[in-house]
Amino acid sequence: MEIVKNLVKMNFFRDSLQLMQLSEEVKKIDGVLDAALVMGTDTNKEILERLNLLTSEGKAATSNDLILAIKVRDESLLSRIIPVVEDMLMRPVTSLQPTIDKTYYTVESALDDVPNINLAVISIPGQHVKEVALKLLEKGIHIHIFSDHVPIEDEVELKKYASERGLLVLGPGAGTSIINGKAIAFANKVRRGPIGIVAAAGTGLQEVSVLLDRVGLGISQGLGVGGNDVKESVGGIMTIDCIKYLEQDEETKAIMVVSKPPDTPVLKKIIKFIEEETKKPFTLCFLGTKKYVPPKKLAKRIHSCRSLHAAVLDMVKFINPEKYKDAKTSLSPKLSELKKSCKMLSKNLKPGQKYLRALYTGGTLMYESLLIYRELIGKDVYSNAPLDPRYKLEDPYKSYMHTVVDLGEEEFTAGRAHPMIDPTIRKIRLIEEARDPEVAVITLDFVLGYGANPDPVGAMQDAIIEAKRIAEKDSREIVMMAHVCGTEADPQNSSIQEEKLKNLGVIVFPTNALMVFASALVVKRCKISDEKLRKAYKEFLDV
Amino acid sequence: MSEKVKKLFREELKVANIGLEIFYRSLKDQAVEVVQISWQPPPSLERRLKEKLEKLL
Repeated sequence: MEIVKNLVKMNFFRDSLQLMQLSEEVKKIDGVLDAALVMGTDTNKEILERLNLLTSEGKAATSNDLILAIKVRDESLLSRIIPVVEDMLMRPVTSLQPTIDKTYYTVESALDDVPNINLAVISIPGQHVKEVALKLLEKGIHIHIFSDHVPIEDEVELKKYASERGLLVLGPGAGTSIINGKAIAFANKVRRGPIGIVAAAGTGLQEVSVLLDRVGLGISQGLGVGGNDVKESVGGIMTIDCIKYLEQDEETKAIMVVSKPPDTPVLKKIIKFIEEETKKPFTLCFLGTKKYVPPKKLAKRIHSCRSLHAAVLDMVKFINPEKYKDAKTSLSPKLSELKKSCKMLSKNLKPGQKYLRALYTGGTLMYESLLIYRELIGKDVYSNAPLDPRYKLEDPYKSYMHTVVDLGEEEFTAGRAHPMIDPTIRKIRLIEEARDPEVAVITLDFVLGYGANPDPVGAMQDAIIEAKRIAEKDSREIVMMAHVCGTEADPQNSSIQEEKLKNLGVIVFPTNALMVFASALVVKRCKISDEKLRKAYKEFLDV
Repeated sequence: MSEKVKKLFREELKVANIGLEIFYRSLKDQAVEVVQISWQPPPSLERRLKEKLEKLL
């Protein structure tokens, strides 16, 4: 008889990616029906519960403990399987990755052995970052900090220290940078070119660099400064430094600044710097802020846009006006055509199918969607990270009416790999949404590039098929839409990923903003006033 | 511009990756020279001793 067993290893640490890999290995053992090896965070226990893999032993684990959750065909197999899994766990960490040439265990030993290191990428628990980062900065090494939860006073100290010495501290919480054409952390393979990007928004940088690539333009440098940099406590130290460096960089001909809303004093400081200390063309995309209107004499040089999609079109106009028409055609279909297609898509929906469910892995893409939905659907779009706190989901694991969820937020990722790598959490959610007879449209983002899942669409495929089957069994049809944020040069190849989606009956859009626009039209059966539509189209899909 | 940033933008990247090995592999895949520094949390006893020492000194 099938049985679920939890073994708890107290005070035992493995990082989430190593555990994800081990889980996959354990699932392949003969007799194992399902398995998950996770640190005992609340998030992980919640997910084990939803996978029917949690027992009372696992429930009692703490975030310092490792839970080995396993479902086997028959109890008698446990005595054979558990020692095998324990052996796997006890292997030295490095043997999980035989491709590593040599592993160092201290920063000092690596720097002694390997001269001329010019960049360090740090992804260790936040409370330990400062100690490691300072050692590197003292040696004149630039750093990109992927880690979250770095105490804000540590961030300020590191950034001040670096700024005084002409060094970069990208992050903490920087998901993406592109330096000298190389992807750092989660980033895409995009062509090199004249556009420099400073971003306090990880997937924002990914989306604009990918879309610029799509319309034939390239970037010089893409510098992710981390979301906190534009908060008052940090004061935009690195945003301004990076703008200054790109202004002085000969390869950079125009600069784009992408961010979620900065604190007002920081926004003012950044704008003042751009107005007074720079001469290059700028496209500013401070999502969710009142549109900045530059002084008349600067209106030709400094532009401001309200979506990532619009910012890209604006930059094309700046850099290569003859490409603008083609770029517009490839990214923004005419409103009348869009309406016509959406009407077609909504024709099989039943009257009771009223709601939209957007399941995001990219935080900035989710935020951009909320801005557009607010204009087209209204304020009452619920989320785990809403624009208006009144519309915060009571339970982030449960959708309510129109719901847009960021599955990369803390409540879903504590002690787990990000959903751009590990699809488990989104697969569970997609199936739950499909069971809801009031759901009309489901949207999904697929973020490609280095660091991401090697086949993100493939990893979701079973769940997409199952979701469609559930709806069909109930004589419903759910409109499924997707946006692939990636390029053909990415390891996952955007064309292959898009083709897979189309074969699954999912409608694919070239930009997130366009997908959001279309999903709003479908869920509303195109019953949105022409005035509202035209205004939103002009703001988010046009320049 | 800061000489150090100017140099970074002109040189080939040479990276120390501290933490997640996935980023090491990504850089290798892009033919970037990279070394892996494996990181483990300091043992709690060592941490407590260090804190006590810091207080004493």
